[in-house]
Amino acid sequence: MSEGTVTKLTLVANDGQKMQVDRQVAEKSVLIKNMLDDLGDDAMLSAEIPIPNVNDTVLKKVIEWCEHHKADPAASNDDDSDSRKKTTDIDEWDQKFMQVDQEMLFEIILASNYLDIKPLLDVGCKTVANMIKGKSPEEIRKTFNITNDFTPEEEEQIRRENEWAEDR
Amino acid sequence: MTATSASPQKQCLLTDLPDEVLQHILYYCSANHVLFNVQRLSKRFARLASEPLLWRYHCRVEFKYWDSKHRIRQKFLGNVVDVDWKALYTYRSRVDAQTTALLDSILEGQIDRISKFRTISEFGYDTKDTLVRHCHTHDDAEDVLARRYYATAVLDHVHRSKALAEWRKVLHGEKVPLERALGAFDMFVLHDQHGDLQEISDLFDDLAIRLRREHPGLNHLPPRKKALIAVKFLREHNYVGLSSELAYRDLQNNFIGIALQDQDHPSLPLISVGIFCALAQRLGLNARCCGIPNHVHAMVIPAPGETLDDRPLREGEIQAQPMFLDPYRFDDEISEQSLRIMLSQYGIRPHQFAEFMADTGNENLILRTSRNILATVQEFRAQVGAATNTGHPTIRLYANPFADMDNAFYAALWANYIFGNPARTMELTTQRQFIPLILERFERLYPMDATLIEEYIVPQYGRQDHISEIWELREALRVVRAADQTPKQRRLRDTPAAREGVKYKVGQIFRHRRYAYTGVITGWDMECGMTSAWIAHNNVDSLSRGRHQSFYHALVEDTSVRYVAEENIEVIEPEVPSTLMSLAGKFFKRWDKENRIFVSNIRDEYPED
Repeated sequence: MSEGTVTKLTLVANDGQKMQVDRQVAEKSVLIKNMLDDLGDDAMLSAEIPIPNVNDTVLKKVIEWCEHHKADPAASNDDDSDSRKKTTDIDEWDQKFMQVDQEMLFEIILASNYLDIKPLLDVGCKTVANMIKGKSPEEIRKTFNITNDFTPEEEEQIRRENEWAEDR
Repeated sequence: MTATSASPQKQCLLTDLPDEVLQHILYYCSANHVLFNVQRLSKRFARLASEPLLWRYHCRVEFKYWDSKHRIRQKFLGNVVDVDWKALYTYRSRVDAQTTALLDSILEGQIDRISKFRTISEFGYDTKDTLVRHCHTHDDAEDVLARRYYATAVLDHVHRSKALAEWRKVLHGEKVPLERALGAFDMFVLHDQHGDLQEISDLFDDLAIRLRREHPGLNHLPPRKKALIAVKFLREHNYVGLSSELAYRDLQNNFIGIALQDQDHPSLPLISVGIFCALAQRLGLNARCCGIPNHVHAMVIPAPGETLDDRPLREGEIQAQPMFLDPYRFDDEISEQSLRIMLSQYGIRPHQFAEFMADTGNENLILRTSRNILATVQEFRAQVGAATNTGHPTIRLYANPFADMDNAFYAALWANYIFGNPARTMELTTQRQFIPLILERFERLYPMDATLIEEYIVPQYGRQDHISEIWELREALRVVRAADQTPKQRRLRDTPAAREGVKYKVGQIFRHRRYAYTGVITGWDMECGMTSAWIAHNNVDSLSRGRHQSFYHALVEDTSVRYVAEENIEVIEPEVPSTLMSLAGKFFKRWDKENRIFVSNIRDEYPED
């Protein structure tokens, strides 16, 4: 690859739509980056890369995010995610980006999980966490269409486990 | 995984996300939200919300301090499934809620506080995170001063309990690292700062790592070389000694944790030697403190059958000679000969030399440090009264200097009590003589320590002991406990005499007309309520209005409590009485900027003030 030239990749969504994407943008996906590393540039640059799990609309949206964040430094691997407190802060652009209906939100999360785009997965999960925040179990169930499948005894048991904190 | 809506009818729901993604979302929810709400959604969420990794994460990021009973460091290093992390988190969360409830109740009224302090301190170090949080209550809080004051008071009490437990281990001959034996003094003045026993040990671990990094080949050197490198390292980085002998008696020089963390690292010879020994022990050396009078030295003892120079023992040599060091003053070794000269200058006979040139043990180091502290406090008090108080020792530790001087003094009294030898009754200072001194501080400053006195002092004496100190001890405990159990008598302004005769009210700041100190009014009497002896001693009748005028209880900047006649009160209205702010929380909720008065937290006693 000569310097200064922008190489493009062709991604194919599961409904057959093709998309030309800058290599740097596509490489935000660790899945794609690993494919490039494994198969060699020549093979990849000429071929079309199928993304069988993601449809055209979602893929466009994901590419839009990668485009905006292409200059972000790659997250270091050694950041020990278990010993530092996670925040649910989301930067302004990402907040706007995530203002989509629930279905699209979950699709983006699934796509970022499949394509292995960790920072986008984080933003998606934070968005869901913020939607859950401050809601009672009944409100959360209603918002996300969750069925309560506990038996009354099981419910009572969980309630009793938390009894100590009732009047805090 | 069918991630997409290939068929347009099928909507993608939250529950379509795989476990690993939902798990990821739970990490972004607060722990309590997961406990109280999320895990009640459905069986699947309940299962996901019980993952030990999630709760180990919360235990790690939300709590900094753990009681030693948990052995938390081993748990974090071990296999995650070996620990019920969720139960551990729930336990800590419960301690947090109970601590806050008890603190709230301490703030609510001046009654039954001793048992509340006790209940909190029984949680041990598990309660510390919560107390530190309350110590940092926001400036705008309605009871900011009171909350900070009592959170600090409980935390101090927890620290003292830990310090005394450490000293008891020393007393019982358990193996206690030197830095912990000395670090117990730090616990009396630490408050919400960094530098408790564990943190001091960690600082030494870090220091050893730094030394090894600067001297990569260190491990292969003979002990003597290692010791000299350690001394040089400490002196180069200014970790030992004092910048000026003029500051010799400064109170802070006695605290090993302060010495490690202060940017100038000030320390007395004893603490300098302690720092050297703690570091050298981490390099595998048998480094000890050697009790030369007036100036503790360090010694490094060769391992049995070995020498400090990696040469074999000579024939007939049973034990190789130790080396001596004075890290406070010198980079180099001190020869045995010069130590002998020093000892004979102190009037010590040659046949006693061996006794002084040996490992002196933690007990003796604690006692010597306590005497250094007593000397500083006495010197400070003597010179404050004197006309020329140039160059008196400074008493700046972590918080209010006067309060911390009290704390340091109190630590020294306890050390003297615990390590004073009850068997040697002929000694100048016997253990018992410290009881009245401890009691005086207990009654005035540390009533919550009733439980510590009952644990450490009372059991040493039988019911039949009729020594005056013991009688005094039982009486002081009875009085303090009774006062703690009795509701305060309500002081009302319901008579014309009280309405007109008592001009000032609780919370006002004043300057004493004659002695010029600044204080805050914490109570009043319609006329002098003291004994006739006190009245005579203080020349009350020579006042222009005599004993039949209103008198005020007052808290003064230097932590003292005074009783002042109304005619000596000159009310002032400073913008912020900065020297009183950290002390006022004992009686007041906050400073009212607008009216320039402290807002009372003793309405149970003075409901109308």
